[in-house]
Amino acid sequence: MRLSKVTFRYRRREPLIIRSADARLSPGDVIELTGVNGAGKSTLLRLLAGLARPTTGTISGRPPVVGFAPDRFPVGQPFTVTAYLRHMSRVRGGARWEPWAERLTMGHLLTVPLGELSKGSAHKVGLAQALMADPGLLILDEPFAGLDADTREVLPSIAAEVAAGGGIVIASDHQGGLRALPAVRHWSVVDGHLKEGTAVEPTAEVADRAPAVAAVPQVTVAVTLPVGELQPFLARMRGEGYQAREIEETG
Amino acid sequence: MIALTAFRLAGYVRSHRVYQALLLTLAMLAILYGSRAPRGAEVSVLADGAVLIIPILAWAARSLLDTEPDLQRELSAVQVGGRGREVAAGLVAAFAACAVLSALGLGWALLLGVSQAPPTGVLITILLLHALATLTGTTLGALTSRAVLASPAVSIMALVLGFMAMLLLSASPLYWLTVPVIRWMRAANTGLLLDQLPQLAALSLLWCLIGLAVYVWRRR
Repeated sequence: MRLSKVTFRYRRREPLIIRSADARLSPGDVIELTGVNGAGKSTLLRLLAGLARPTTGTISGRPPVVGFAPDRFPVGQPFTVTAYLRHMSRVRGGARWEPWAERLTMGHLLTVPLGELSKGSAHKVGLAQALMADPGLLILDEPFAGLDADTREVLPSIAAEVAAGGGIVIASDHQGGLRALPAVRHWSVVDGHLKEGTAVEPTAEVADRAPAVAAVPQVTVAVTLPVGELQPFLARMRGEGYQAREIEETG
Repeated sequence: MIALTAFRLAGYVRSHRVYQALLLTLAMLAILYGSRAPRGAEVSVLADGAVLIIPILAWAARSLLDTEPDLQRELSAVQVGGRGREVAAGLVAAFAACAVLSALGLGWALLLGVSQAPPTGVLITILLLHALATLTGTTLGALTSRAVLASPAVSIMALVLGFMAMLLLSASPLYWLTVPVIRWMRAANTGLLLDQLPQLAALSLLWCLIGLAVYVWRRR
């Protein structure tokens, strides 16, 4: 699969979301896609899935079977989990969804209406519908968001299996869930430009890190402090050689 | 694509949106065929029914196409292997839903709206007219669905005004600029429906195909 000089904008005269992206994806690749919010990651995933056409440039060699798990599964549908997955199975020509439901620990959810699912449970339905047809291209948008610990553990091995079977896996992921896999390619979208091999963004939980001793095991800590003391605190930590940034404001 | 069509229809029924169009259809039929038409007026009454059901069919088609969340439409496109098949499945589902309502209207009219069954030739003509009405309703519904007109208020206005414009234009000398529904009724009233059917059907089909092409173009 190849992207050649791909650019994309939603409407004429609007700024480009993706600028001149070139990339080659080979069977067995696992790609972690990062970038700040609004950088164009989801747009790039939609282009790869064939849901949007490049404004200029081409995307060629897309595998015939694509699985796409969105970051927010659309729960506003009048089906139970079982009824929905049965319909999707028929659309996929009779693909088996039951093994995926078992593997993603969805047994207790099968009779629940989609509209009553929690975010994580709905996310599992999205994963099951993407995985059921043995996709040659598996696209996962924030696949670890909201998942329980068991499923977070099993998801990297599922991605590895898809890749081992000759599939391409690309996941937009801020949480570094796939980094344990060997030979993961890192893509990042910066100002609309697709870059490969650049440093991965710090994970959401990372508050600071000691870069001077990269070989030493790292630890992530969270510090809660008054808003007014934030900037002096960050400056002090950075002055001491740690990477530190604000995660969220509470209260 | 058939499985996706069934999925769209199942969503429409299970969401209970189907009852909106069904109740409107039953209310219209109860009013229109409250008393049987006299002998000899069968063609006229049945043609009127085919025209008057069009806005309800458009409502049904729009409602069916809007049942599915936008993101599910994207998932469906990936699942079925392309946007084109997803669009086609939606249109086929909308046409099927409209065809059921149209068949209900025609069946009601034949059983309770006329004093005697029309001859076979006339019946076939009326069947064709209902098929054209079904296609017209599907097209108008598709063109006013959320994928084309995002605002619900604009969408509803476009549906109602679109049908009114169809009536006004087709009553004027510029009838060839739209589906000529008033010409259907006039031809039926004057006993010329069989003679004029080829021309009226071709014109109606042409405008429906243009409308569907616009819908497909907007969804590409």
